[in-house]
Amino acid sequence: MISVTNISKTFRVPVPVEGRWAAARALFSRARTDKEAVRDISFTIERGEFVGYIGPNGAGKSTTIKMLTGILHPTRGEVRVAGLSPHKHRTDVARRIGAVFGQRSQLWWDLPVRDSYDILAAMYKVPDRDKRERLARLTELLELDEFLLTPVRKLSLGQRMRADLAAALLHAPDVLFLDEPTIGLDVVAKKRIRTFLQALNRDFGVTVLLTTHDMDDIEQLCRRVMVINRGELAYDGSIEALRERIGLPTTVKVTFGGSFSVPDRWEEPFRLAERGDDYVTLECNRSLISTMEVLRAAGAWGDIADVHMEEPDFEDIIHRIY
Amino acid sequence: MLRMYRMLVIASFRSRMQHPFNFVFGTLMAAVVNVVEFSLIAVVLSRFGSVQGWSTYEVAYLYGAILLSKTLYRTVASDVHHLEKYLVSGDLDQMLTRPVPVLLALMAQNVTIYVAEFLQSAVMLAISLSVLIGSGQTSWLAVPQTLFVVLCGAIICFAIGLATATAGFWITRIRELQVITEDSARFAAQYPLSLYPKWLRYVLCTAIPVGFANYIPSLYVVRGELGGWILAATALFTAGCLALSMRFWRFGLSRYQSAGS
Repeated sequence: MISVTNISKTFRVPVPVEGRWAAARALFSRARTDKEAVRDISFTIERGEFVGYIGPNGAGKSTTIKMLTGILHPTRGEVRVAGLSPHKHRTDVARRIGAVFGQRSQLWWDLPVRDSYDILAAMYKVPDRDKRERLARLTELLELDEFLLTPVRKLSLGQRMRADLAAALLHAPDVLFLDEPTIGLDVVAKKRIRTFLQALNRDFGVTVLLTTHDMDDIEQLCRRVMVINRGELAYDGSIEALRERIGLPTTVKVTFGGSFSVPDRWEEPFRLAERGDDYVTLECNRSLISTMEVLRAAGAWGDIADVHMEEPDFEDIIHRIY
Repeated sequence: MLRMYRMLVIASFRSRMQHPFNFVFGTLMAAVVNVVEFSLIAVVLSRFGSVQGWSTYEVAYLYGAILLSKTLYRTVASDVHHLEKYLVSGDLDQMLTRPVPVLLALMAQNVTIYVAEFLQSAVMLAISLSVLIGSGQTSWLAVPQTLFVVLCGAIICFAIGLATATAGFWITRIRELQVITEDSARFAAQYPLSLYPKWLRYVLCTAIPVGFANYIPSLYVVRGELGGWILAATALFTAGCLALSMRFWRFGLSRYQSAGS
């Protein structure tokens, strides 16, 4: 469905000018440097797959997605979506794909949600009957009826995301690209979106490529994960194998009730990440040691007053591993 | 394609009507600005009577023609002029994910009807033409010819605007460039080009070819100079400009770097 062969994307960016009169000199500076946002990436995605695409900020996730959707042209290499090149046959590819960018809406800001669907249906030449059928189904699955007549600008973030998902699916695309679809949403809204995406992939066989910062998105939705770091593909495989590789990193913040002392060394496999006036932050891998064991060890350092488990900072982990 | 355009324009209007006060107020303000600008020109013209052998009515013709052309261009191709906004915000991205030519989508965004400009330029053209025909300087044939000139002029204005906007794919900020290629050049074309030094005349007929939008064809239409072939030449030149700017646009679009997210 999607095949990517050795693509690279180089941006030409101005060289920052330093020193005296920097701002004025920058105005006339023609110096440019090449910044390689994506370097020699290849992969194939088969029909019906649900693939997570993850990596730290600035790693090249969005650049890759933009090349797949025809927004950017790769500097080198080749992209095929449904057998076509998105930059040579942009409009043909556009008809076969749907794209949702979490940060911005593709709906008409000032118009009621339903009007956007009418415009999009005409744009994608969706026959009237198909439009009505699909819209009815999407309305039911995404519970759109509560705000179909509301102008988009008045929707909550969660509602807008549901409305945007429906908009991307109205023309029944074969592939759906999702760039941070759950960003900024609360737990309930996230769950709703995930349930929907699952059904979409399972029941309708839509191929999905998803970028996210939310590890739960990946764990619950994707069977396959690709990790990109500094523009290069660092990992491509199953979620289980990735978990084996990075383990179950956990951060525990332990606050002490009184004075405490941290010994120079200890036997248990966890490390001290930060030490404050009355607390320490500890990092461990739960595939090697249980949190209870870590706490037991820390209990010997002083009187524990409070314990706080933190979500692992995903970007941090990726950075450390690759 | 035309249907698509029509639908997007209607959507754009409906969006704007969601803020009716802005819409009405904007239209009114534009009208006031134009009336002021026009009064200034009228004062200048009435004071000097003629400019370099061009009578008041002939200059009014030049003025009306270029204004009508520009107004047509800005109405039909609305947000081409505002590409910068899309480049800075990255809003061009989603236009690229749709099965519609980006240029067409851009043309149908934020469509405005410039009521004041339309009225003003049409009235000026009507008055100057009726006087010039009445005095026997030209015949009624000038009417269809003028429509043709205005149409070519609109396309030339569009080509200039498009080429300028396309530069944004490299330099992003295009407002200053637009002041030169669109505003100043059009201002210059409100008067006979014979007024200007030779090098400037040359520039206005080649690099920023507003001269072909009104001055050159009107030499024939209202002054009977050169010959009918100049209309054919103008049409040919216009087609060339359009083709060139479209090619440049497609090239620029392929160099689009998008904005970080």
